[in-house]
Parts: sequence; structure tokens; C-alpha cells
Amino acid sequence: MTGSRVSLGLFFLLAVSVSALAAETLPRSAHWAFQPVRPVPIPPVRQRDWPRSPIDAFLLARLEKAGLQLAPDVDKRTLLRRVYLDLIGLPPTPEEQQAFLEDPSPDAFARVVDRLLARPEYGERWARHWLDVARYAESNGYERDGAKPNAWRYRDYVIDSFNRDKPFDQFAREQIAGDELPGSNAETQIATTFLRLGTWDDEPADFLVDRYDQLDDVLGTTATAFLALTLRCARCHDHKFEPFSQADYYRMLAVFEPLKRPEVVVSATHRREHERFVGSEEELQGYWGSVGMQTALLTGALLPALSGQPRFLAAPQLNLMAKFQTPQPPQAHIWYEDSPQAPVTHLFRRGDPKRATVAVSPGLPAVLVRRQPAPPTPLAHSTGRRLWLANWITSPDNPLTARVLVNRVWMHHFGKGLVATPNDFGVMGARPSHPELLDWLADWFMAQGWRLKPLHRLLVLSHAYQTSSASDADVSRGEQKGALFGRWRQRRLEAEAVRDSILAVSGQLNPQRGGPSVFPPLPRAVLEGQSRPGDGWGQSSPRQAARRSIYVFCKRSLAVPELELLDTPDTTCSCEQRPLSTTAPQALTFLNGAFVQEQAAHWAARLRREAGEDPAAQVRRAFLLALCRPPQPEELRLALDFLSRQERQIEADARSCGQSAGDARQRALAAFCVVLLNTNEFFYIG
Amino acid sequence: MTRAVDSMAQTRRDFLWQAGGGFGAVALTALLAEDGFFGHSARAVAAGDASSAPRLPHHPATAKAVICLFMYGGVSHLETFDPKPELNRRSGQPMPNLDRDPLFKVRHPGTLLGSVSKFRKHGQSGIEVSELFPHLARCVDDLCILRSMRADSFAHGSGLLQMNTGYLRLGYPSLGSWISYGLGTLNQNLPAFVVLLDPRGGPISGPPNWNQGFMPAAYQGTQFRVQGDPILNLSPPEGVSAKQQRNQLDLLAELNRRHQQATPDNSELAARIASYELAFRMQSHAPEAVDLSQETKATRRLYGLDNPQTAPFGRRCLLARRLVERGVRFVQIYSGGGHAEQTWDAHKDVLTNHTLHCGETDQPIAALLTDLKQRGLLDSTLVVWTSEFGRTPTGQNGKGRDHSPRGFCTWLAGGGVKGGQTIGATDEFGYAAVENKVHIHDLHATILYLLGIDHERLTYFHGGREHRLTDVSGRVVEEVLG
Repeated sequence: MTGSRVSLGLFFLLAVSVSALAAETLPRSAHWAFQPVRPVPIPPVRQRDWPRSPIDAFLLARLEKAGLQLAPDVDKRTLLRRVYLDLIGLPPTPEEQQAFLEDPSPDAFARVVDRLLARPEYGERWARHWLDVARYAESNGYERDGAKPNAWRYRDYVIDSFNRDKPFDQFAREQIAGDELPGSNAETQIATTFLRLGTWDDEPADFLVDRYDQLDDVLGTTATAFLALTLRCARCHDHKFEPFSQADYYRMLAVFEPLKRPEVVVSATHRREHERFVGSEEELQGYWGSVGMQTALLTGALLPALSGQPRFLAAPQLNLMAKFQTPQPPQAHIWYEDSPQAPVTHLFRRGDPKRATVAVSPGLPAVLVRRQPAPPTPLAHSTGRRLWLANWITSPDNPLTARVLVNRVWMHHFGKGLVATPNDFGVMGARPSHPELLDWLADWFMAQGWRLKPLHRLLVLSHAYQTSSASDADVSRGEQKGALFGRWRQRRLEAEAVRDSILAVSGQLNPQRGGPSVFPPLPRAVLEGQSRPGDGWGQSSPRQAARRSIYVFCKRSLAVPELELLDTPDTTCSCEQRPLSTTAPQALTFLNGAFVQEQAAHWAARLRREAGEDPAAQVRRAFLLALCRPPQPEELRLALDFLSRQERQIEADARSCGQSAGDARQRALAAFCVVLLNTNEFFYIG
Repeated sequence: MTRAVDSMAQTRRDFLWQAGGGFGAVALTALLAEDGFFGHSARAVAAGDASSAPRLPHHPATAKAVICLFMYGGVSHLETFDPKPELNRRSGQPMPNLDRDPLFKVRHPGTLLGSVSKFRKHGQSGIEVSELFPHLARCVDDLCILRSMRADSFAHGSGLLQMNTGYLRLGYPSLGSWISYGLGTLNQNLPAFVVLLDPRGGPISGPPNWNQGFMPAAYQGTQFRVQGDPILNLSPPEGVSAKQQRNQLDLLAELNRRHQQATPDNSELAARIASYELAFRMQSHAPEAVDLSQETKATRRLYGLDNPQTAPFGRRCLLARRLVERGVRFVQIYSGGGHAEQTWDAHKDVLTNHTLHCGETDQPIAALLTDLKQRGLLDSTLVVWTSEFGRTPTGQNGKGRDHSPRGFCTWLAGGGVKGGQTIGATDEFGYAAVENKVHIHDLHATILYLLGIDHERLTYFHGGREHRLTDVSGRVVEEVLG
């Protein structure tokens, strides 16, 4: 298809016929992604001194076959900035730069990598990538866009899991079935917030249809996030392009059908939802058995609540507990099951829940398994179906999970996946550019215990990661080389990393971790888009508002412009890779918006504090902080020219309107700071 | 078979050259120039999918631009464009056959309420229009009134989403986004898709009504404000003059130019550099576009700018005309903002509510149609007047009416539409559409058709399949076409 671009107009038709052909002429299970992951030998290469890791050998073998030269190594400063932004989403400080530059030992870079992976900022950076996949948001969307009050606990759970290097198979099992796992506790139950992050309408047009829309969201997100399958397309009919039948969809639906959403119907048309207490039996016993709790509940004559260990309480009881300052178990935004008995799942004709046909039992997509595993074993208070699914998803026999995950990690490090469609490993998805490498990585990843930190280490310490992005004289060869990872792909920083880097550079970044989300101030013009301006957007102190972007409240109907304009993901479904828009409103907001203006002023003050009154020293310090390098002589000259010209202009402008220019020098320096924060170099990982 | 995600070099640009005839040279240059501005960079499309590259138009268009007048809250068709003598006769009686629609029975047990406004025939067509729209009634020969509209939601939130995106659920691109994606903008200095909100507030659900869903952010509607900065952060902050900003941009351009030397083949960097220059140009273009003082006194009076009741909506209508003149593709104007009586949501007293909102919009809408016509723009500008749903024939709280999506009115004018006609009909009480039903998908298909787009062929690949504005249905309402 790549060669015949002229036929773009026919693309869709062609796509259909190609996939139909594939489905007819090949045995269905012949699709690459559905084959078991097998150990792959490391290929031989001619340039034997180039590879520093097995992945280099795979990449180099391909490049040599294509007759392409490798890009030269990148300089130390660029490499340092690259790995900082990549692993922790923040630039290195001038002191960290100095330490690295002065360390001549061969393992200097490896030690930087290890230190970064051990820092809590690593989890804050990489958790965000997973939140994209998990369609994370803290509100429901729709008319009232009500809050999901405890969703932030899930965000903290994800950050914590990355920081502790929790094996990914465990991480997956907890999110799908954390309430059914042996040893289930508050943490694993919070993990299942994953299932309830979708949109939710408190006034649905049709309650029954809405119930299955919600389950579709749960099923679809699970299949996409862990398996990169577009199973949702088989809800109304057999999948048009992939080998999934409508029965496959409903067998999978049966896994989730026992889930109940904690909600109360308040009228014929409206309902309200609530949160659930989480914890193991022992954890909860500790709370419910406490004297304070008993008093609180007895005083309120709410004895029934004391029988057993309630998983949720109504508002009056909660208020009472608050009044007595009784320690409460944590609450989480999760679904629940309360019976080993499962409801019957039916296949719906054309996906219409009012047209139920045959009953189906839980099962896996037929194309992925030689035979269905033994049916789920019911547990004391749940059907065990999700645990059954989670165990299969994370079993080494599953051809997809490890491949899908290593591909996501690869994409974030190298700017493009080995499979360019990380949420679609089906027939319609892209084919892997390096299938053997993908399999080698998946196999290696499982063998070393599904841990991410060793995987990061492997990728980041490769030679390929340390190549330069400089263009070739021959553009088309340069592009080919880039496509085959023989040359570093420059890429724009994600919205959060841009905002966090600005805060870090200005010196205002508040490193506080975890807890409920914060609300940076929004321009009035943004709030005016709401039917009740300001509704659902709290007020945080400037200090709180200066926390990392992952802690900014993620509201479905309202967003911080600095983040939204840089393509933060759509939260209605799993986001595989962020789109990239380059627009004039971005330029306007980063030049003129209050956030950048304020940070630039803080930064200018910082420069004066740290570099003194010499403009050249200020400029040098500014370059080191923002771009991780000193200015070249010509850049220094440009900057100094700017500072004096801007200072004169500020004074002239003030004179012409009869006002005081204030500290014109300081304002000129802040104006320079705004410019540096807007450069391509600042916005891009070079 | 790959989706060629990586071949960002070959996208919209190549397509346009290949698309060849039938698409004016002006549009072509504008589309090319648009890369990196309010449109999208070449990479943006590539990141979505190469198959998403537009292939337009599918047939000759009669409309180049759309002005959508959105009466938020739910206009009563029974007091505006759908006279029902039988309803008036049986006012006060229970509605027969209430069981036909179970949900209706739960929500609306009240008795029938006759229309609280009077209708009179107007124009050569003799179409009946309510006395609440005296100015608009004079334009009736330009209107094509769809009296058999159908939607699927009884609630504002999902109702608005459906009218704007075709879906009851969140996450889908709005009509304006589809049009920007399909056709791009005709003026690189202005966005392709502009939203003008009621100064009293936005509609329920807020920005998802004009968002781009799964498309890149470049396709979202841009809020323009009539007063103050028309676009967020358009003006430099206080104390920063245009000269100071120019100094900043000059330094920025020079630093970026030097940085780009190492990787001249990265088109993203070039697009980003261009976006700053375009932003600077917009700082003069956008204020010019919203500067209503350039209009003659007569024009300003025509739109009711001299009357405090009509001025707010009049300003937005006049601004819409100026934007369309300057090449904006899709302008959406909301009447009604916030909640309750500030919108058309007439639960308490339909006469009071609609007298207010009709009074605010009647003259400006008539002025817009008249003005567009005088300037020869009505032929190429489609004006759509709609609401998320209509209101029940049964009363609520005595003199109010509740939401009713089963039958209501939308009208179209200009842009190749055959005016002076009504299409379809509701039942004798005006509850449900019974004749030539027009679902929202059908309305969307028809709007796209007028713009030269086949709704079944305008697709965007996402989540494993091609998506359409009209999902898996929609038909062009042939009678609408001239």
C-alpha cells in the first residue's frame, strides 16, 4: 500500500478487499500476532563493534540489509537531556549536567539511567503513558460531568506500581480482577478502578442500552489495553475485518456481565452512583471494629451497618463518621460482584439488548486459543470470571500481552512502535517493522519476570538510542534510516512534560506526590464554555497548582489550555498514541497565556538570583536550565541584542503612554525567557 | 498491508494535487497554506491514518459554508413552525394512546396543552409561522422547514451531543469537525470552525459539543468572543506592545532557524515555526474580523444592534456573516446559555420563555438571511436553525412543556436548499413525526450533501474501523435540494 499512494481515493475499498482476501485464503490463525511468541536467535551483523545490546544487532541487521549507514553518536549533552525527558519527563539541572560531563567512566551513562529509574519522578512520567491507555479521567462526562471522587487513588496506584517495578503481569491481573485475586487487599481493589474509568451518564436515554454500553467500554478497553484487539467491532455483527465472531464478543461479555455498578436509581430517569470501601477482610475489620466507628454508628442508630463489614455507606452515615472523626477505610471508584452466581449472558441480535438470542458462557476469542481453558471457578463472593480472564491474559501462552506491552514501551522510547498501531495488532493493524526483534523482546520480557525497569534499561542503553537525529544529505535515505531506527527520531514532548519542564525551569515545580488532584487557575474565557462557569473546577493555591501535570484534575468537559492544545488524549476510549497538532492557538497560548507569563517572570527572578546581574551570565544560565547546553557565541550575541533592544522598547512604550516602565531590565529578561520556552528545541526531544 | 502511519510526506498535500479538477484553485492553495495552522500539519493526519486523508468533494457542492443557529434547551415546535389545530381543539384533555411510548407515559402524564401562540400564513408559499417570529416570517419563502425531525434522547446532555456529533455518547467528532476535516478552511488566518456562545454561558456538556473526538485537536471548534479578545490569548499581555512581541518573535524565529539546520528534513519543526508567524498575522486578522464597527449603521440596525434585547444575538449573527465572508467553513451560534429560563427549556411557561428567546433572535436571524441574500452569499451559505429536541404537546407545571425528541422542527435556508416548503409532518397533536421522518443522521447526511460530501464516504479510521458522522444510517432528504 505504501507505494501506491495515488490510489488514496480507493484506499478504503482496497483495505476491505485485502483483508477479506486475507481472511479467505489464509487459515485464520496464520496472522502473525496470533502465533505464539518464540525465542529468536540474535542475527549476525557485519559491523560487529556497533551493537551494545541484542536489540542493536536486530536493528543493524535490517539496516545492513537495506544498505543503510548508521547515524553517528549523539553528543553527551543531547543524550543526557534526551534520557531525562524520556525517563522522568523533566530536564537535567545544570549541576546534574556538570556531573555527567565530568564523569569519564565508561558506565557513566548507565549509572545516570539507574539513578533516573530509581527516582519517584520516573513513575510520575511513565504512569501517564498507562493512563492514556486506560482512558483515565476523574469525571463522568455528559450533562453534569460529575466527579469520580476517588479516581486519583488509581492514578497513585499506577505511579506506585511503576516506581516499585511491579511485574506487568501482576499489574494487569490487579486491574482486571484485583478483587478476586488471592490476598486481595485495598491496593489490588483500587487497581480495578481501571474498569470504571469510562464515561457515565446519570440520565441515560435508555437504561438497558446504557448498561451494555458501559460493559462494552469495560470489555473494549480491556481487550485494547492488554491485547491490542478491536473486539468492540464485533458487538453488532461478526467483525468485518478481523477473525472475531459476534459470539466471541458475547463470550467475553459474559466475563464482565456479573459486574455491578454501585448506583441508586433516584427517579424514572435519573440515578446516582457511589463509592466503595476497599480492603481485605482484616483491613476492614480494623476500621469497623474500632471504638470510634462503633460509637459513631451506634449514635446514629445505624446498627444494621455493623453487621458484617459494609462495603459502602449512605451519605448520612458517612457524615456521621466524619463528625466523629472516625478513621474510615479508603474508598475507591470501582464496580463490584457479590455473588458466585452469574447472570445469563445472551447474544444480542445486531447488538440490541432488547433482542436477546442464545445464551453464551464465558470464553476467549476462538482464534486465539487452540481450545477453551477449563471454565472459571466461582469464588465465595464473585464468579471468578475476571480472574479467569486475567490469568489467561497474563499466561505465557498468550501470544499478545507481552508483545503489546513491549511495543508500547518501545514506542515511548523511540517515538514509533515496532508495530505502528499499538492498540491494533489485528489484521487491519500495521505489521511489525521488526517482527523478530518484537518476539525476542517479548520473550526476554517474560523470561525476566515481566519487569519494566530492566526493559527500559535494555532499550535506553542500546546504541540505537544514542544515535544523532541529524539529517542526511540524502533525505530519502535519511527517512528510511529513521523508519528503521538507524537514526534518532526527534519528537515533540507530550503536553505534561512541556508544562512540567516549564515549572522545573522556572524553579516553581512543587514536587509533592500523590493525593487528590489539583486545579490550576483557568482563564475566564475557558470557563465561559461551561453551562455553569467554574462548575466542578476547584481552586488550588499557587503552590498546589504548580505540581506535576499528572496531578492536575482530569475533567472530561474542561481542560487546562496549555495541556489540551498540545493534544492530551481523548478520554472516552483507550489512546494508543497521541495525535500531533501544530496550530496558531498553541503559539498564542504559550506566548501570551498567563501560565507562561507567570513562569517566565519567576524564571527571570531565579536567573538574577543564580547568575547575578551580568546579562551574559543570565543568558548562559537560562540556556543550561532550559536546553541543557550553553549558548553558542552567535546565540549569546542574539540574546544580548534582544535584551537591550527589548529593554529600550519597554521604556519607550512606557514613556509613550506616560507610565513607569517598572524594572524594564527584569521585564526584558522575562520576555527572553518566554522566547526560550517557545523554541522548538525546548519543545522537542532532540 | 499497512496503514502507512510513517509516510507523513505523502498525505493531504499529495492527495489534493491528485484530486485535480472540481475543486477550485483558491481552495487548493488555501488548503496547502493551511498546513500547520488551524488546519493540521501533514503529520497530524498521518498520525491518525493515511486512509483518513480527505478525498473531496464527492460531487459539486452548492454550499461552501454553514451557519448553524443552535437554539439550546429545546424549542417548542408547537409554538413556532408546526401549527396543530387538533391539539388546540383538545387542549385540556388527556392525550390518547399514551401507552404507545412507554417512556413518554412515565415522563409526561399531563394533559394536552394547546399552542399558546397564533400562526399566520406568510409569503408566496403561504407557510404558517408563529406570531413569535414576525421578522423571520417575512423570510419564509427562503426556508425549508423540516417538520418531522427525530432525535433519540429526552435529556439535554445526550441530546446536544447527538445533534452535534450524531451520537448520544461522548467521544465523537462534531459536525463542524467533520466539515473542517473534509474541506479545510478557505482562510488560513482564521479557524475553519468557529463557535459563538451565548454570553449567559455555554450549553450543557460544554466543549464536547464542538470537540473533535478521536480526531486531532486541530479540528476542534474555536470559541470566538464578541467582546474582548476574540480568541484565547490572542493579545499580548498587558504592557507588552506589538513591537515587543515582534522582537520576541524575531528572536524566536532566529533561534528556531539555527536549531532547524541540523534536521532540515523534519517538517514538524518547519510547521511549528510557521505557526508562530501565522499567530502573529492572526493578531491583526481576527480583531479585524470581529470589528463590527466597520459595518454601516444601517446594517447594524438591521441586525438589531441598537436594541438591548436583540443586540447580543444580533452581534453574533453579524459576526457569523463576516466570518463566512472571510472563508470560515462552519460557524455555530448558540442562543441560550447556562440553565433553565436562560435557555429555551420552557418547563414553567412556554409563552414567557419563548416570547423572550424568540424576541432576542427573531430580528437578527431575519437580518442574517436578508443580509446574506443582498450580498449574494445566501446561495453558497447554508443556514441551519435547530434545537436538540422539541417539546411535548402535553403541559407541564400548567403552562410549560417538557422535552420531546420524537417529533420537532429544524429549518434550512440558502446553500442550494429549496426554500418556501415544508417537509414531513408530526401526528395530529405534534407529538411524534409520522410522515417522511428525518432523523438527525438524515439531517447530517443532507448538510454534508449540500457541501459536496457523500456522508457514506467521509470516513475516519479509529479503534479498528472506519467511522462516519452518520454511523451506519442516514439518508439525504432529496426534497430539500433545489
